[in-house]
Amino acid sequence: MLSPTLVAQTVVNGVAISAVYILVALGFTLIFGIMRTVNFAHGEFAMLGGFALFILYGTLKLDFFIALPLAALVVATGSLVFERLVFRPFYQKELQGMIATLGLSVALQYSAMIPFGPQDKSVPSAFTSLVELHGLTFASDRLAVLAIAAVVLLAFYLFMRFTKMGLAMRAAAQDPEIAEAQGIDSRRVYQSAFFLATLMAALAGGLIGQVYSLSPFMGTTPLVKAFTVVILGGLGSIPGAAAGGLLLGMGETFLKTFYGAAPADFASFGAIVLLLIWRPQGLFGRGEV
Amino acid sequence: MSALLRVDRLSKQFGGLKAVNDISFHAEEGEIVGIVGPNGAGKTTVINLVSGVYKPDKGTVTFRGQVVTGMPPHSLVRRGLVRTFQAAVVYRESSVRENALRGAFAKLYPGFWNTLLNTKKARAMRADAEQAADELLEWLGMTAVANVKAGSLPYGYQKTLGMIVALLASPKLIMLDEPAAGLSPEEADHVRDVIRRVNHSGVTVVVVDHNMRFMSGLCHRLVAMHHGAELAEGTPEAVLKDPRVIEAYLGRGFEGVETL
Amino acid sequence: MKTISAQDGLGPALKEQPRVSQKTARGRWLVYTLAILGGLVLVSWPLLLNDIFFTHVATLVLLYCIGAAGLHLILRTGHVSMGHAAFMGIGAYTSVVTMMKLAWPYPLALATGALLAALLALALGPIILRVRGVYFVLVTFTLGEVVRLVFVNWVPVTGGSNGIFQVPPPFPLFLSNLAYYYLALVMAALCVGLVGRIVTSEVGRVLDAIGESERLAQSTGVPVLRFKVLAFVIGCTLVGIQGSLQAHFIRYISPVSFAFSESLNFVVMNVVGGMNSLVGAMIGALFIVPLPEFLRGWVEYQHIFYGIILILVMAFMPSGLAGLLSRAAAALSMRRRGDDA
Repeated sequence: MLSPTLVAQTVVNGVAISAVYILVALGFTLIFGIMRTVNFAHGEFAMLGGFALFILYGTLKLDFFIALPLAALVVATGSLVFERLVFRPFYQKELQGMIATLGLSVALQYSAMIPFGPQDKSVPSAFTSLVELHGLTFASDRLAVLAIAAVVLLAFYLFMRFTKMGLAMRAAAQDPEIAEAQGIDSRRVYQSAFFLATLMAALAGGLIGQVYSLSPFMGTTPLVKAFTVVILGGLGSIPGAAAGGLLLGMGETFLKTFYGAAPADFASFGAIVLLLIWRPQGLFGRGEV
Repeated sequence: MSALLRVDRLSKQFGGLKAVNDISFHAEEGEIVGIVGPNGAGKTTVINLVSGVYKPDKGTVTFRGQVVTGMPPHSLVRRGLVRTFQAAVVYRESSVRENALRGAFAKLYPGFWNTLLNTKKARAMRADAEQAADELLEWLGMTAVANVKAGSLPYGYQKTLGMIVALLASPKLIMLDEPAAGLSPEEADHVRDVIRRVNHSGVTVVVVDHNMRFMSGLCHRLVAMHHGAELAEGTPEAVLKDPRVIEAYLGRGFEGVETL
Repeated sequence: MKTISAQDGLGPALKEQPRVSQKTARGRWLVYTLAILGGLVLVSWPLLLNDIFFTHVATLVLLYCIGAAGLHLILRTGHVSMGHAAFMGIGAYTSVVTMMKLAWPYPLALATGALLAALLALALGPIILRVRGVYFVLVTFTLGEVVRLVFVNWVPVTGGSNGIFQVPPPFPLFLSNLAYYYLALVMAALCVGLVGRIVTSEVGRVLDAIGESERLAQSTGVPVLRFKVLAFVIGCTLVGIQGSLQAHFIRYISPVSFAFSESLNFVVMNVVGGMNSLVGAMIGALFIVPLPEFLRGWVEYQHIFYGIILILVMAFMPSGLAGLLSRAAAALSMRRRGDDA
């Protein structure tokens, strides 16, 4: 039934999920672009964000708009330990870094199983009302996810564009050697990029937790989405992650709503295969495939 | 006039940049033809276009009478057209001898099943390849280091090894990309010697470099390039005295100055 | 004509830098003796020990050697496939379904499973092998996910998430653990032998060249994509064969068995065992496969341990266990001969 409400809701859902995908993909592409590490544990940082929110908002009952950023901060700060132990030894060493993050991913998943158990948990919804706009009805939780994600993405854009550290990161992502020769302190850039990436992933995890339930293994899906987004948009490219995220999010949501989940997933893979034939480095990639 | 290699109005654009713009030249059998120009003139792109790494936007490449434009690199190698790389590209983790043997792929590979079953044909081809490799290593003085890891050789020897690898594909024409780059004058002289000997053994050579002195002492003919386009062609003396060349490479005010 | 002597310039290189090791006749003798002894042990120990559990685990190790060897071949060309388990699943499901629903005899079912795995690899290979490094990892990862989704969603054929129970053995005789062990031994010997032959032949030389420098290999006339597809197809077919054999051994399959964690397993076996040699893949299988069986009581801790091991191995033993062994062997032999470099 192609009612205007359904279409409008699908658009909102699509943009909301796109925004979440972009949050995750940006962090992933940042870590790859700057440190050349494929972060297989990126989904787990989202998972940890979701569980942190579960504790802060669900158990400790803090206000949602305090709990969410706090959860993200806690996860990002705690993850700096991992940056030091698991990521730093392998910067610029792609294969080894990849396997190391795979190990971290498995370790994190099962570590989360110990306190939380394998069953799905749900975070109480912070937004349960329905919103009416121009005679169309929307679920407020999707709108909230969309709004929060949009704000964060805007903040990210402003940071990258107008701050010194943002500029340093973009330089390092383009060419780490030259950036260092220009006097950019690579260790601080790496740490900052890692913190930023993890922050966004954890935030995304919290947002996902508002719409779906949590589990120690929930990180795999955002990871796969991040992969798809960066293949579409080009690894290491920030605009690529945005474009890819939007494309994937919208495409998937529309297909899912009108045709079901399975066709949506196949379509993703089909899109990737086509892209590989036509433009292997992705829409915005650097052409060094 | 049947030149061994004929390049006709070759053009290639990358985005907005015309890397190669309407280049034509030819190489007769037995010649050493040089392509000179400053960095960024498009010389390496020419090699990439002729050797099949890039497909040209316009123009044709004819080799041994056949049009080979846009063919993949391995087809061109099979026909006898081989190139080297600007940086010393070798199999760093493998021994010098292993590098050489890999270069002899065209000679050494008798087909999947022959190889697997180690047939007489496979064994014969392998013996041939090993002999060719050992002879070439001897000829260029690398026998002593046959078992050394290629990555640990001094840079100049890595470049020579790169040439050995290319030569083992039995080329009729070899394109050398900046063979003197990164070498001291003594090493460059050594390389020039090697190129002359290769040429005397029957291989036509197309050399690309920006070192004028190196090129004028080596080549029978020169083609001068600038910003992807051809500037002048002729004997080294003629080209280097050409006022357009002097102006392009040295700037105005140098006309009449004796070049290197 | 005077031979240009390079002695002076190369003196330092000769003195200091590592020589690539030479195979001595004595070394070869040693390897042959060890191989024969090892073969005898492999054949006789299950009969002597007569323990169902150990025989079961050993059979699994042998089966995994097949898939791990297949991945090793692909790794040699410089491509890390994170979708290896997808092809295992194709071999498994095809074999199971043709045998259970179409009543085909096992050899035909096995062959069909292997064939389908090969065909998919042949169809996708020329496209996905054009990309390298991380991109290839991501693409094969996604491929693995999609294939798994097919297994989950194509319910009439695959039974969906529930999986397929009571998979029949290849022949009634193979209900015995012992009999399956020998089947696995023979198949592993054949498959690993094939990979071994490829790797030590000129084909292996070409694959190594491609893995070290595609650009250089291409410039020497190697049709690079063709060879990469060859390695990919053979590798995926082998793991398809493992899939079939394993399905009829465990006698239950479900999409979970062929998910990303399984693909990861294959990569880990190769990495921990040592990516540079085929033996490494075997060592890796020997090390990784029994772990879950022996740590059954502590599932969470086992996985955490596994994850940490990966990180440590990458940090301290990048050439894996095989690398450790070969360095130990080299150190031993040098001491014996008194190095005269």
